[in-house]
Amino acid sequence: MKFFNYLLKIDRRIIYIVVGLLVMFPLIKPLGLGVTSGPRARTLFEAIDAIPAGKTILISVDFDPSSMPELYPMLAAVMRHAFAKDLKVLLCGLWVTGAGLADKAATEIPPEFGKKYGEDVVFLGWKAGVDAVILGMGENIKNVYPVDYYGRPLDSLPMMNDVRQLRDIPIVFAISAGTPGYQDWLLYAQSRYGMRVGAGVTAVSAADAYPYLQTGQMTGLLAGMKGGAEYEVLVQKAGYSKAYMPAVAAMDSQSLAHVIILLLVIVGNVAYFATRKRGA
Amino acid sequence: MHMSTSILTWIAAILTIGIFSFLWRDNPFYKFCEHLFVGVSVGYTIAITWYNSVYPDLFDPLFLSPLSKVSLGSKLLLIIPLLLGLCYFCRFIPQVSWLIRFPMAFVLGWASGVVIPAMLQTNVLKQMQGTFLTPGIFARWDVFLWAVISFIGVVCSVLYFFFSREHKGALKVASETGIVFLMVGFGASFGYTVMARMSLLIGRFQFLLRDWLGMIQ
Repeated sequence: MKFFNYLLKIDRRIIYIVVGLLVMFPLIKPLGLGVTSGPRARTLFEAIDAIPAGKTILISVDFDPSSMPELYPMLAAVMRHAFAKDLKVLLCGLWVTGAGLADKAATEIPPEFGKKYGEDVVFLGWKAGVDAVILGMGENIKNVYPVDYYGRPLDSLPMMNDVRQLRDIPIVFAISAGTPGYQDWLLYAQSRYGMRVGAGVTAVSAADAYPYLQTGQMTGLLAGMKGGAEYEVLVQKAGYSKAYMPAVAAMDSQSLAHVIILLLVIVGNVAYFATRKRGA
Repeated sequence: MHMSTSILTWIAAILTIGIFSFLWRDNPFYKFCEHLFVGVSVGYTIAITWYNSVYPDLFDPLFLSPLSKVSLGSKLLLIIPLLLGLCYFCRFIPQVSWLIRFPMAFVLGWASGVVIPAMLQTNVLKQMQGTFLTPGIFARWDVFLWAVISFIGVVCSVLYFFFSREHKGALKVASETGIVFLMVGFGASFGYTVMARMSLLIGRFQFLLRDWLGMIQ
């Protein structure tokens, strides 16, 4: 009884320290638990892999720095995959606070593959009016984005000569931390223009995305940091990139953290029911 | 181990520790970091909104571009969204605050026309179609099993929210089955939420150990 009462009164700061240490340890000394890729990540990988060289894929960066650990690895992995396959990448964003992250990706990743801004990658920037932006891009991208994020006219960028509207793009990969996000691409780009939509979402919103997979509206899904790790593994196994894989490196910590959370849930419940029974 | 020499990395690391300090207890350092974050976010949002949207789409073509580049007709057309946008600010002046109804009516009308059909198509019709038991599901036993489970789950969950009749007899069985499906859904969401929160913690630790302290490669 005393023991269970003690368990229920553990200072939360002790739990924070234990979780913190368990998360930190595998980052310094990896356990090598490994990551396997599931069918949802493979579907997206295969869809992008099958696109002929020279075509353009659209990546919508719909997240902000608070979701960066979960979603940025996906952005980097998909961009590396695209460049390794000689695809061009068009970046845009429905989140105003995500512009800096897309800018970071557009600046740092293309040079790894000798790709140039304007020829192989373009960042359109952010525009107000989510549905109007997507519908407008379906008609004419240059009407919505006369200039890119850096203020250069789209007419001056060679890559944009082949990409006039959404129908010229085989797939959009929407990386979403909430609303607006992949659902808007499904609502307008998929249902109206028949565009294929793949999604990368935060783990919190993953359960909401599954129904779209089941109906075939969505082409692949990366859920949380684990989804990013799955894609990183696929890209590296195919020999497309040897870059550092932050999501894969985090998976040992993630596994240990899940174990400790499960233990805490079980111990908390046992202690609660034991003390309640005695009290009754 | 190579500790970062970048001043920006040091600032980010100190602010991260400041936010973490809340786990111990609320303190002035945490409050400073929190307020700084809010201020920076708002400032950043205003700057991006101006440079990415207002300036290139409205200010530049309406006021700065010569008539040789933007026709008079296009300029006159831009006055409409400008006026509608300005109407939002009338909210701050009680005598003319009613003017906000014009942009609100425009946005509501336009959005309803655009969103409702798309919502029906994507979130209702396609989802209903996905729930139907079609001959195709008999191709493989696992597909058949999941299709039947999905079908039962959808029907029972919907019946749980059917409040026009007392939940007795068959309706009670169905609605209680619906609760089981709902609980499984909530459990899956909670599991994913734990994963998400841990991912964010790991992300910060990766930054501190890799980018700042240089302890991991």
